[in-house]
Amino acid sequence: MEALLDFWSAYSAAIAFGLVNSLFALSMYSVLSAGILSFTTVVFAAIGGFAAAQVIGTFGLPLWVAFPLAGIAGGIGSAIIAAIFLKLETHWMALASLAMVLITRVTVLNTPSLTGGVMGMMVPVRASVLELTILVAIVALVFYRLHNSWYGLAIRAVREDAAAASTMGVSLRHIQLIAFLISGVVGGLAGAAMATTLQYISADTFYLGVAFTMIAGTVLGGSFHWFGPIVGAFVFTALPSVTQAVLPELQDIAKGVVLLVIMIYLPRGLIDPRARGLRKAARQRQDAAVREQDNASKLVKNAGQAHD
Amino acid sequence: MILFLEQLVNGISLGSLYALFGIGFGLVFATLGILNAAHGVYASWAAILGYFSVEYFGVPFPVAVAIGVLGGGLIAIVVDQIGFQPLRGRKSGMLGALITSIAFLIILDSLAGMATNHQSWAFPSDSFPSGMVDFGAIQVPQMQIIIILSTLICGGGIYLLIQKTRIGAAMRAVGWNAEAAALSGVNPRIIILLTAFLAGATSGLAGVLGGAATSNVSYMLGEGLLLKGFAAVVVGGFDDVRGTVIAGILLGISEVFVAQYLSTTYRDGFTYILLLTFLVARPRGLFGSRDFVRA
Repeated sequence: MEALLDFWSAYSAAIAFGLVNSLFALSMYSVLSAGILSFTTVVFAAIGGFAAAQVIGTFGLPLWVAFPLAGIAGGIGSAIIAAIFLKLETHWMALASLAMVLITRVTVLNTPSLTGGVMGMMVPVRASVLELTILVAIVALVFYRLHNSWYGLAIRAVREDAAAASTMGVSLRHIQLIAFLISGVVGGLAGAAMATTLQYISADTFYLGVAFTMIAGTVLGGSFHWFGPIVGAFVFTALPSVTQAVLPELQDIAKGVVLLVIMIYLPRGLIDPRARGLRKAARQRQDAAVREQDNASKLVKNAGQAHD
Repeated sequence: MILFLEQLVNGISLGSLYALFGIGFGLVFATLGILNAAHGVYASWAAILGYFSVEYFGVPFPVAVAIGVLGGGLIAIVVDQIGFQPLRGRKSGMLGALITSIAFLIILDSLAGMATNHQSWAFPSDSFPSGMVDFGAIQVPQMQIIIILSTLICGGGIYLLIQKTRIGAAMRAVGWNAEAAALSGVNPRIIILLTAFLAGATSGLAGVLGGAATSNVSYMLGEGLLLKGFAAVVVGGFDDVRGTVIAGILLGISEVFVAQYLSTTYRDGFTYILLLTFLVARPRGLFGSRDFVRA
């Protein structure tokens, strides 16, 4: 029991960050699963984070009012960005979303009445691990339902082959717009969760570092199934704490090396539904081959008997 | 008027650094299809190598520049061969290469931080040309002239290399379709190595010259260059070296003028708004060609 409590006091912060990062990664996964590489999650998170900080700090509203409001704010932000970005081709979209992250930082620094400017903002309320777990569970449930819905089927079709999907009557624009909206709402929630976990946010909280970490976590976990980003977020959060215990000086380098090794040897991430399908297919092939061999040997035996 | 002229020269030399840095970034994007987040780290490492060689071995400045340029190019080749080579032919698209480059950004950045002890250094003032050149009305630091000339020479040279020589034709062919290029007798492996080296070397040159001119050699040096160089490449259209050079210089001038005549707070904001405007309104940049296809 003692050991369990020690473990909890040592790692509850890491678990809280793992949960927050899961939300970030799910937001990134939402657009990635429609075949779009976009860093705008960070923008939505900034909108949601500062909205939550204002709602809690200035108006004194409780946490469970702040979360939905942050989600709605992120959703509105994503609708505006999607309207501008969806006409861009994929790699221009990636560049434009990077530019958007840079612009967000400048905006945050230059609107001190909304965001505290250079000073940043303190958030007086702290979300507990239980509250974060509930939040992530709700979001994960939504992703689970979506995965098994018409939308889930359509988005996988779009990602595999957009042209083929559109001949089947799936509107590419429509699917991508929905993906962006989901990304915006979840991103807003992620920002609010980040604000209430760190209890201090500034322009640097929502910048390139978090963008790169989140996309790395998503791809590390696997961007072909909604469970992948959650796994990736936890691995990427736990990794520095583990290497800090072993090699304190090399924790960042270890993070980079793990990312590199995963990309070279497991390019589709840790959770890969296709790998399961391939294993199944391989097993079936093997069974078929064994049966074939049996039949062949039986034939040979029969032929031998007939010859006798 | 004198202030205006001085700021104009400041802007041109700052913009030349962005352009010099951006050339390689655009070259790699257009030829190899890689959005390389680690491109800025080459500049940091080149500046650090140049600084160390001056500080510990007392080499003259041109040798330090050469060491930085070579170092930048070699690091770029190592990154390409370890990180990007396994991804080629696996159709992982831009995402795989981007993640790999982020991995190298993390690794090389932390190593650079350890090498410099997370501090900022400056080249000793007598180790590089720090005098002024008299142009009548205004005086211009020698380093600024060196930067502007290097950008014009490198930009012009690489433009001619790509557009007028057989190697350049091969580079464009590999960028278009590596298999087809191999069929017509181009060795894509060598072209890829050459492209990576050129990108790293120009980035390194920008790093050493910028580090000397601004008296700031640190592991952070590359990040600032990366963001502004990225803007220059997008505004100029990254399959054209001329566009990158012109856009980089214009960005430098506008940045200095915005800071001088409006407010320093809008300095970065202006650049990024311009960047987004170009991406949305004219994604192919100033000189970008219509038929550029690279998924």
